[in-house]
Amino acid sequence: MRGYVARRVAQSVPLVVVVSLLVFLLIHAAPGGPLALYLDNPNVRPQDIERLRKALGLDRPLAEQYLAWLWAFVRGDWGYSYADGRPVLQRLLERLPATLELIGTSTILAVFVAVPLGVMSAVRRGFDRASTAGAIAAISLPVFWFGLLLQLVFANALGWLPSSGRTSYGGGGFGDRLAHLLLPVAVLAVVHAAAWSRYLRSSMRETLALPFIQAARARGVGETGIVLRHALRNASLPFVTVVLLDASIMASGAVVTESVFAWPGIGSLFTEALAKRDYTVLMAFLMCASVAVIVLNLAADLAVHAMDPRTRLSE
Amino acid sequence: MTRAVMALAVSALAACSGGSGRAGASNDLLVVGYDREPDTLNRYATHILEDIESCVVEGLVTNDEKMNIVPLLATDVPTLANGGVRLRRDGGMDVTWKLRPGVKWHDGVPHTSADVKFTADAINKGDWKPESTDGFDRIASVDTPDSLTAIVHYKEVYAPYQLQFVRGTLPKHLLEGRDIDRAADYNRAPLGTGPYRVAEWKTGEYIALEKVSDYWRGPGYPKIKRLLFRFLANTTTRINQLKAGEVHLVALVPWDKVRELRDVPSVRLNQVVGNGYEHVTLNEKRFPPFADVRVRRALAHAIDRDLIVKTILDGLVTVVNGPIQPLSWAYEPRVATYAFDPAAARALLDSAGWAAGADGIRSRGGTRLAFTLITQAGFAIRENVAQAIQKQLKDVGVEAQVKLVDGTTISTTWFSGDFDAMLHWWQQGADPEITLFFASDRTPPAGRNINYLHDDALTALLYASDRTVDQAKRRELFARAQVRVAELVPELVLYNTAKVDAVPATLTHFTGNPTNTGPFWNVHEWEIVRP
Repeated sequence: MRGYVARRVAQSVPLVVVVSLLVFLLIHAAPGGPLALYLDNPNVRPQDIERLRKALGLDRPLAEQYLAWLWAFVRGDWGYSYADGRPVLQRLLERLPATLELIGTSTILAVFVAVPLGVMSAVRRGFDRASTAGAIAAISLPVFWFGLLLQLVFANALGWLPSSGRTSYGGGGFGDRLAHLLLPVAVLAVVHAAAWSRYLRSSMRETLALPFIQAARARGVGETGIVLRHALRNASLPFVTVVLLDASIMASGAVVTESVFAWPGIGSLFTEALAKRDYTVLMAFLMCASVAVIVLNLAADLAVHAMDPRTRLSE
Repeated sequence: MTRAVMALAVSALAACSGGSGRAGASNDLLVVGYDREPDTLNRYATHILEDIESCVVEGLVTNDEKMNIVPLLATDVPTLANGGVRLRRDGGMDVTWKLRPGVKWHDGVPHTSADVKFTADAINKGDWKPESTDGFDRIASVDTPDSLTAIVHYKEVYAPYQLQFVRGTLPKHLLEGRDIDRAADYNRAPLGTGPYRVAEWKTGEYIALEKVSDYWRGPGYPKIKRLLFRFLANTTTRINQLKAGEVHLVALVPWDKVRELRDVPSVRLNQVVGNGYEHVTLNEKRFPPFADVRVRRALAHAIDRDLIVKTILDGLVTVVNGPIQPLSWAYEPRVATYAFDPAAARALLDSAGWAAGADGIRSRGGTRLAFTLITQAGFAIRENVAQAIQKQLKDVGVEAQVKLVDGTTISTTWFSGDFDAMLHWWQQGADPEITLFFASDRTPPAGRNINYLHDDALTALLYASDRTVDQAKRRELFARAQVRVAELVPELVLYNTAKVDAVPATLTHFTGNPTNTGPFWNVHEWEIVRP
């Protein structure tokens, strides 16, 4: 097992380097640059632009910029943000808790909704029809639009919840945090719960049709036992994989959600950095994101191995 | 049943979150919905977001809602007439700034001429990244005969000298000998002399300002105790929060959101004429047919600006005819104008040899009169205006293909000159200098003459105006320059840019501001008055 993990990690290293090169080229190929903001101001003259370009090291050849960045990045020096001059690592770390809070809560909530929904849909025909319609509608919801809709209803019309932000000014107690968390979490959780319940439903259906279920029935196992102990345990393997792999999709949804709800996480930092072409912040963010995807893939594999004896590796 | 329980739970939550901050604006707390988080609060390192900075750091002067330059930390605005400006025989000039006595930095250290000198020296030293060194690089030295007098010696005559220290001064006792780019303590919570200090900057969420106890204007100022700037990048969210009463003030409401705010009772819309103008730049270098003045005049005649203003802009703005706006002391109204007249447009194009082809689009010698009009994506009004222009030009046989470009890209596009025509605006400062937009030698990268206009007479007038300090004489030069610009039609001038701020209906002394100085220029006077 340990050997397998080590091998997988070793395989990922060249992949990360290739991704970093692609991302670097893509960012620099996008029109505009960190100095575009300054160009808007008529009083910033060409000599100012030249001076700033030199100061930021943007006048060096692209290959040199990339190698310098890579070497520094590997050594843990993630550089300074072009926009506000603070260390990139500090900017990411101060935003990370908010994003983890949002994604973590949404994932847990979505799983808790998706599991009973998926199981019920697989075993109850009537329920299935209603839940299918609901799930299709929820999957089709654009996160952006759904977020604004919830704001209009719960913050503007009813006035029950704050429309955005993570805390009230001077607030920050548990109730205040929870009230701010509800709407953005609802947006992310609803969309994912709908999708995941569909996976679980079809996986349950397949499992329930397998011979060992009939064998269990023949042995006189009760219907609840069949569904929960025999079918769900087997059906949850692909489900767990999907949930872990979907974390990256959840993260991209979080970028949009954070912007709509002014949630101070790394998603909104990414949106800002993108608009400002803040290269150092963008690179660090995208590298972290790709490493996270690789780690989650690995985690999905390991989870399946742990849960399914048939796929255990021969050491 | 479950629904009732849920509703109860949600209301309970709302209750323990303190009504989610939905109290109205008060003299205790005013919440501002802000469209982005600043990168820095060092006024010399950025040109955007003057608002938060101007509550904390004060300039030697500022400009009021009518664009007059008024003294702030200086006792007077130096001029030739009051002896504050002396022209030297060697072609240079000396400007004497008299500082207001009794002003202290927030840490209690007196604000003196040494700070003025330190500011000029620090910017000219160039070992950090001030956004622009414009003007400062013409300063030879600064003398400080006493603690309240700073004499700035310019190497040459510099007409916009009055705004040299509009961004304030840097505190010498705090920043001397330090790397200012990395002085996070100053850049995130600048030491100032203004009515407020930075109490808290919660990254990604807000900046909270609190009033200082001993503001130099006296114990009566400022009237409002705390200002909270919440960062709400999403426009719809910002407007929703304003309507829900979670924020009280939104500066620079996008024009397409004005209508939905008109009926919100807690909100008053304050509108001032902006010091900027929306126009279509015609790039003569990239699309040579624009180099013919008859073509440019024809395009000007083809556009129905009144209709665009009345329909798309809901009458928010007024049609203008040139680059210097009516608010400016240098504004000249007696210039050539181009009324909406498609027949005149067609006649001009005919006379220039552009004949209509089979598809209705004119051509000459195999060249079609067809170009790309770029404008900023996501700016709803502009997208609509671009389409209206496209339609109106088509009516006289000219094809404009609209292309939407994101905001970051657009400024680099014009810098590279890589476009045919562009719908955009220039926002200007209180000084009427327009040399960098129209002088022949100020095409990119040397300036912002992105029309690539070449006119020697105009260029001479503009440079003369830059070297003239006497306002009456300078005005005369500007008048002639504006007449010349109107004759040449280097760009299609559409309308003035109105600045609409949404403020609490109970807020008094809010005036708005036409320039980038921003509406917070007189924040010390603001007061919430209950009806």
